Amino acid sequence: MSAPVLSVRNLSIDYVGEDSDFHAVKDVSFDIAKGEFFGLAGESGCGKSTIAFAIARLHQPSALIRRGEILVEGRNVLDLDKKALEKFRWTEVAMVFQSAMNSLNPVLTIEAQFHDVLKTHLGLSREQSRKRAEELLALVDIPAERLKSFPHQCSGGMRQRIVIAICLALNPKLLIMDEPTTALDVVVQREILQRIDVLRKELGFSILFITHDLGLMAQVCDRIGVMLEGELVEVGDARQIHTAPTHPYTKKLWASMPRLRGAQIGGEASL
Amino acid sequence: MKQLLVGLSKNKKAVIGLSILVIILLVAIFAPLLTPYGASARVGRPHQPPSWEHWFGTTRIGRDVWTQMIYGARTSLAVGFGAGLMITVIGTVLGIIAGYMRGKVDEVINFFTNMILVIPNLPLLLVLAAFIGQASPLVIALILGFTSWAWGVRVTRAQTLSVREKDFVKSAEMLGEPKWRIMTFEIFPNLISIVGINFIGSVIFAVITEATLEFLGLGDPNAVSWGIMLYNAQNASALTVGAWWDMLAPCFALALLGLSLALINFAIDEVANPRLRTGSRLNRWKMLVRTGEGRI
Amino acid sequence: MAFLLRRLAFYLAAFIAAATVNFFLPRVMPGDPIQIMFGSANANLTVENLNALRLTFGFIDAPIWQQYLTYLQSIFTGDLGRSIRYFPAPVSEILGRATIWTVGLVGIATILAFIVGTGLGIFAAWKRGTRADTAISLLAIFTTAVPAVVISLLALFIFAYQLRWFPSGYAYNPLLDPALSWTYISSVIYHGTLPMVTMFIVLLGGFAITMRNNMINLLGEDYIVMGRAKGLSENRVMFWYAARNALLPTVSNLAIALGTVVGGSLITEVVFNYPGLGNVLYQAILARDYPVIQGQLLIMTAAMLIANFLVDVSYVLLDPRLKKA
Repeated sequence: MSAPVLSVRNLSIDYVGEDSDFHAVKDVSFDIAKGEFFGLAGESGCGKSTIAFAIARLHQPSALIRRGEILVEGRNVLDLDKKALEKFRWTEVAMVFQSAMNSLNPVLTIEAQFHDVLKTHLGLSREQSRKRAEELLALVDIPAERLKSFPHQCSGGMRQRIVIAICLALNPKLLIMDEPTTALDVVVQREILQRIDVLRKELGFSILFITHDLGLMAQVCDRIGVMLEGELVEVGDARQIHTAPTHPYTKKLWASMPRLRGAQIGGEASL
Repeated sequence: MKQLLVGLSKNKKAVIGLSILVIILLVAIFAPLLTPYGASARVGRPHQPPSWEHWFGTTRIGRDVWTQMIYGARTSLAVGFGAGLMITVIGTVLGIIAGYMRGKVDEVINFFTNMILVIPNLPLLLVLAAFIGQASPLVIALILGFTSWAWGVRVTRAQTLSVREKDFVKSAEMLGEPKWRIMTFEIFPNLISIVGINFIGSVIFAVITEATLEFLGLGDPNAVSWGIMLYNAQNASALTVGAWWDMLAPCFALALLGLSLALINFAIDEVANPRLRTGSRLNRWKMLVRTGEGRI
Repeated sequence: MAFLLRRLAFYLAAFIAAATVNFFLPRVMPGDPIQIMFGSANANLTVENLNALRLTFGFIDAPIWQQYLTYLQSIFTGDLGRSIRYFPAPVSEILGRATIWTVGLVGIATILAFIVGTGLGIFAAWKRGTRADTAISLLAIFTTAVPAVVISLLALFIFAYQLRWFPSGYAYNPLLDPALSWTYISSVIYHGTLPMVTMFIVLLGGFAITMRNNMINLLGEDYIVMGRAKGLSENRVMFWYAARNALLPTVSNLAIALGTVVGGSLITEVVFNYPGLGNVLYQAILARDYPVIQGQLLIMTAAMLIANFLVDVSYVLLDPRLKKA
């Protein structure tokens, strides 16, 4: 097995309060291999989004990284200075955010939102950016005319596919998806995840997929980590987490899933 | 409500603002104990500079400026809080009704609100006051109360529109609660910070506007208030003849009262809207970063 | 387009509302309305003159709705009557002359205050929690809380009377004749600077605090985090992702802020004895020159409505979501 794309080592993150701290992430370690689809599951507030934001150093005060390392391709993200950090973002780690409706800048055209990435990182001209943007949109089945549109003129599912296309603009090594489909209906959600999976196999990037929906995760991921109150309590193969969870909390999570849903997933897993 | 008060007691801006306000209030209440002179009595020679007998000097006609100032605080506070209360009550009631009822009622209220907002307030007040003649502080307070509620309606309505979609309102509706009960007991308590901001903002507005109208010569020249002090000082060409104390005393008083109220208002905004709260909460974070106990 | 037309219709209604206030006020006051309106007239006013004035203000022997229509007709034909104090000078002429000074003074001060204030607000929001933010916020609170009249008087006291850097009144040296000469223009600038700076300070804080709060409210939005995640430069995210979006609520607040602009300009002009609308109004109030006072309300309302319309237009230009409507 080659060196992991992402390696989180003994990461602890606190939210600093006026007189005491809230320990959001407690001594978490995990690796994501090249091309791997890795899922991080847990209830809201368990620290999984905090980890996602910390990987691209997007966490805001009062979040504070107390200990640990975040290695992307062997380089500690926490050591990057401001310039190096700007360069690192999006070229190595791109991110899809929770709210599909709200992650595109409402006052810029889709084209401008491709162009600012391509210009900043690759120095492309407007003309070159447009060509590249058209190719990228084609990957997610969106017609090139959409480049002229503003976000509000596109549906929620379309917007999230556009975000994914922007994510792929620089061929990142890791794609982080923080609850990327919660705002979308089930059909669109499924379409998008399938498309991502196909692109992953084509382009070879790894994925860190974050959701509270363990069932959905079991369908798409290679490996799954389960978080409880800031701790990573179990990491394993998707199949093992599904069929033979070892930690009591993972068992409880499965037990809390609606029956009907559980049966469905079982059926699909065998497909 | 309780949360808001606890938050305010921890907010530095609120504490400073409230302290100044309380001091002004105490000075106004105990004015007779703080000066040997009567408010309108001629007690010295004209335009005496500040001295031991007359702390803030005397006016053109020999009144004691300090005495006028502390008695004037009564007027400013009364007009400010009286008119502020009126403005807030009208604005809140209309805003909640418009936002909750929607439909025709909302359209009518909204139309008038917007119309009042685009007619410039001060010139309108000037025309009203000019026809009334020499308006006493009470009359000024009433005019302000009846003409200045539009901004309050706008913000309260906007907030009501979002609160009315909340689950607890929906469930009260399902239970068949009457509309007035929902508006009073479900919606109003959730608007408390916006109402507070509207109230303090209206008090500031009323204090400033009363002083302005009086300064422009529309007030009752026999009243004892900061605006009338400014008016008399202006008429006496106080600055030209070098009697700066005559002009600066009411200026200072108005600035201090305005500042204390604005600090309180800003604090309510910070407490009610956690995103705006930035100060002390992050001090420890900054310290930890500086001492290298964590990384950003 | 439909949006702007709707706004125009609304502004027309608002203007008529202001005119209606003018029409009814003397009529609801106790006493004889004609006596109220023209009681302080000076001896120059002959019977014919007075009759012409009455007609302008709708004081005719007819039912009240006809009086009202007569009055509206006068206004929409640009006839605001004549000044009682400076009879027979038409109100529109007196106000017209003053408007030039006010528009120059207030226009420049407002535009500068909006640009600088918004800039400070952007900076404070971006650096929220730092000393710079605290300093800007406190400065803004201070300038919005202290009445314009106090700020103006203090500026006059310090810079005109104590330091003697600026004159204490007039738009230009009264000994000069208006001409396109450097002497005249420099005199205008010299006299205009202090009132303009005062006006600027009066308005600055409001713009700064509005922009700051609007922008801080947006900073948690996903599209701003995504802008940072994209590795864009700090400036690009600050201006094109955060500030550009925060500008929308700020611009719609601007419409309300214009009321403060009008009020503030009145005060500044009175204090600095500047020959704009504010000063004309002040003189008219002292002389109880009602036609001028009433004309003033209409002119200021019209100015405010025009400014509001400009704000609407810029809002449509700024927000792509409104364009297709």
